[in-house]
Amino acid sequence: MATQPLGIRLEALSAVFRHERRGDVTAVDKLDLDIRPGELLTLLGASGCGKTTTLRMIAGFQPPSSGRIRFGEQDVTDLPANRRDIGFVFQNYALFPHLSVFENVAYGLRVKGIGHDEIVRRVGEGLEQVGLSGFGERMITELSGGQQQRVALARAIAIRPRVLLFDEPLSNLDAKLRVQMRGEIARLQRELAITTVYVTHDQEEAMAISHRIAIMSEGRIAQIGTAEDLYQRPVSAFVAGFLGGANLVDCTVREVGAGSAVLDVDGLRWSLETPATLSRGQRVRAVVRPEALELARDGDGLACQIESMVYLGARAEYLIRSGERCFQVVVSNPVSNRLFQSGEAVVLRLPGRNVALLAQH
Amino acid sequence: MLALWALMLLFIIYPLGALLLRTVFEDGSFSAAPLLAAVQNPNNLRALRNSLVLALMVGFAGTLVGLVFAFTVERAGLGRRAAKLIDLATFLPLISPPFTTSIAFVFSFGPRGLITYDLLGIGNAKVYGFTSTFAAETFTYFPIAYLALRPMIASIGTSLEEAAFSLGGSRWHIFRTVTLPLILPGLANAFLLLFGCSLADFATPLILSGSDFPVLPTEAYLQITGLFDLKSGAILSLLLLAPAGVVYYAQERLVAGRSYVTVTGKAAASGKLDSVSHAARFGLIALCLFVTVAILYFYALLFCASIVMAFGANHTLTLAHYHVIFTEGLPAIRQTLIIALIGMPLGGLYGIVVGYLVGRTRFTGRRAMELISMLNYALPGTIVGIAYLLAFNDKPFALTGTALIIVACYVFRYSPTGIRTTIALLQQIDRSMEEASTSLGANRFTTFRRVMLPLILPAFFAGLGVVFIRSMTAISATIFLVSIDWTLITVKILENMTEVALGPAAAFSVFVIVVVLAVSGLLNGALRYLTAPNLRVSKIGT
Ligand SMILES: Nc1ncnc2c1ncn2[C@@H]1O[C@H](COP(=O)(O)OP(=O)(O)O)[C@@H](O)[C@H]1O
Ligand SMILES: [Mg+2]
Repeated sequence: MATQPLGIRLEALSAVFRHERRGDVTAVDKLDLDIRPGELLTLLGASGCGKTTTLRMIAGFQPPSSGRIRFGEQDVTDLPANRRDIGFVFQNYALFPHLSVFENVAYGLRVKGIGHDEIVRRVGEGLEQVGLSGFGERMITELSGGQQQRVALARAIAIRPRVLLFDEPLSNLDAKLRVQMRGEIARLQRELAITTVYVTHDQEEAMAISHRIAIMSEGRIAQIGTAEDLYQRPVSAFVAGFLGGANLVDCTVREVGAGSAVLDVDGLRWSLETPATLSRGQRVRAVVRPEALELARDGDGLACQIESMVYLGARAEYLIRSGERCFQVVVSNPVSNRLFQSGEAVVLRLPGRNVALLAQH
Repeated sequence: MLALWALMLLFIIYPLGALLLRTVFEDGSFSAAPLLAAVQNPNNLRALRNSLVLALMVGFAGTLVGLVFAFTVERAGLGRRAAKLIDLATFLPLISPPFTTSIAFVFSFGPRGLITYDLLGIGNAKVYGFTSTFAAETFTYFPIAYLALRPMIASIGTSLEEAAFSLGGSRWHIFRTVTLPLILPGLANAFLLLFGCSLADFATPLILSGSDFPVLPTEAYLQITGLFDLKSGAILSLLLLAPAGVVYYAQERLVAGRSYVTVTGKAAASGKLDSVSHAARFGLIALCLFVTVAILYFYALLFCASIVMAFGANHTLTLAHYHVIFTEGLPAIRQTLIIALIGMPLGGLYGIVVGYLVGRTRFTGRRAMELISMLNYALPGTIVGIAYLLAFNDKPFALTGTALIIVACYVFRYSPTGIRTTIALLQQIDRSMEEASTSLGANRFTTFRRVMLPLILPAFFAGLGVVFIRSMTAISATIFLVSIDWTLITVKILENMTEVALGPAAAFSVFVIVVVLAVSGLLNGALRYLTAPNLRVSKIGT
């Protein structure tokens, strides 16, 4: 497998479905995306935002309404799926029920006309890679869901595709297996270094396995970057709210320093480090993660009252209020900190760094 | 694709067109007069009325018997042996030549019938007329209602009934308020099926209804073969079209309207449930067993009649009748088998090709293709037969007297089962199956051959089975198409019956049943051998 991984480029890609009653539905809307050679990029978004449609256009199952798709230098927009050299792992696995595990994995190799000995060798290798050595003679129905998922994976990688595509591959598995399988997919992808596009609506799954994540909304990409980029530096309230919890704090810039600023929150001075260029008097919206907030009995901070508390063992989740403002606060290790009960008065301490500021209009 | 359209045009649209034209054109000019005259003719009206009354009665009675069977099998906790018997008794009528029940009726209830004469001592029993036609058709067709209703009752699931029971309803009350409303659309569907079967039935009335109770299919046949009046026959057959059309339309509406099978979990192991009270259970089982025993008795009678000199008069054992059918009757046997064996693969192939095109691809005219493909199946055989006779008598397509016309008639008339099975199977196969194959590098043809074909193989075999069985047993359409060179066993049976050569008729019937059972068994075996164990779903039947 000496072939170099290749990049994928989507240029102003659109998909419009004609509905008899609803009129035209734009599932993907002039989407531009650069997928780097060898990386695992996840398309993350709520149901119906166009992830599957985008993936199916990359696979060639569905022609785009407009726009181009390139694999490396090659324009594949008009190339049928069977000539694109892809491996696709389906949500429902789509294994061939009339074939054994071995024949399922061998399918793509047989289609390519590869010799018998080579097929045996490569199927064996593929099954070993997914931990299913010795399962070759089984029928598909004799496997558990997790095992079927592995066969689907082995079948996709056995043909050594240029591009691997996953459409919510773990959504039919139980929670524990999901965590285990996503680890294996990530490991295998790193090992094989095949450029991979992975679709999911599960943010934790996305953060766990991806090199980069593209958050999609209404057929467009809201933001793309590493998990840390997206979590620490969201560019919009939508992204901030989509990935993890977020408190959106509207405030005014009071003073501007070099790499720092002082904000006004209901008369409270809030000084923090920020690379953003700001001007005095500007209205901004700060994105503060619930776990970045601290609660104290007294001292400096915003005077608040506990509205509700949920104790979850490893952490406690609070909803607190200060006048019109509401905050979510997550306190980890609540036992050695201190539990506040609802109705108690507390002081909220705002963090001095790692706060994203969004311009407000 | 073009070839397919051409074939459908030639063997479905063109004959029907020819039939319609023939009835409204007189000496090259349009005239509705003959049609109107036929409608006003009291004899024809009587036949039409008789046909409708018979179909209505058979529809009701057959649905009721089918319901009793389905309910008993699913809910009354039958023993294994009783269930086996019922399976046999409901399967045999579906694969038998059309005169089987009629012959048995004559042997039982005729002037020298086993029951009327020997048992009851009635000297001059009158077997011909409405009552025996009605009874024979009900016995012949109720298994269709049973097969349609049984999965529905099974799917309702006992949990629903148990829920109602726990709320304090009595069993009868639950049946009326929960079970019955749920299966009502199913009952309607079964009724329509039986109504259609009875309306189109030609063989039973021909033997049993006699001159007192003429019905349309037999009248049309007598006009054509007896009086050589093609036109009147054609017009009579057209009178069948209206009720048949109404039935077809109602059925389409019923099926399309809503999905009426509620699936509320799998039915618990039957036998444990208390859906019926003790007395009701006893009554149901007794009723089913009575019908079952009656049917098995008919078949036993048929077999006996085939191995004695003259049933009712001389009960010496003999193989003479079998000797007759394998000497004099040999050409008919050979020709029927040739036709069935040619039609079988063609019909099977046609079924999955049309099924695949309609069920899985998109093209303009797809819906039209589906409707047209069902046409010859939905129409009564008498109409189809007369239409073929009219269409293929002259140039440009003079096929009368050839085997081809009979094969074509069977293929286009009985492949719709294969088509429907294919479509139903395809609906269960997710599109991602094809996409998976494509993503692995396979082109469309490879995908069809290596993935789709194996998955729809059961439909192919179902298609083969039905075309073969019908080629061996059907008569209503092909009675008009046989010739000196190409005739059919069923036609021979009819000839024997009219010559009162009942022994050979019985022997022929037994032969057909044995062959059909053997071929069904072979096909089932082949299917089992060819498909993966987890795909062994549909059984070959009708
Ligand atoms: N084959 C189709 N026909 C019509 N509309 C479709 C089709 N596929 C998807 N859509 C519509 O396109 C939008 C995006 O769908 P999809 O890409 O499946 O979303 P996701 O995978 O992100 O849940 C949805 O509004 C959906 O209803
Ligand atoms: Mg999706």
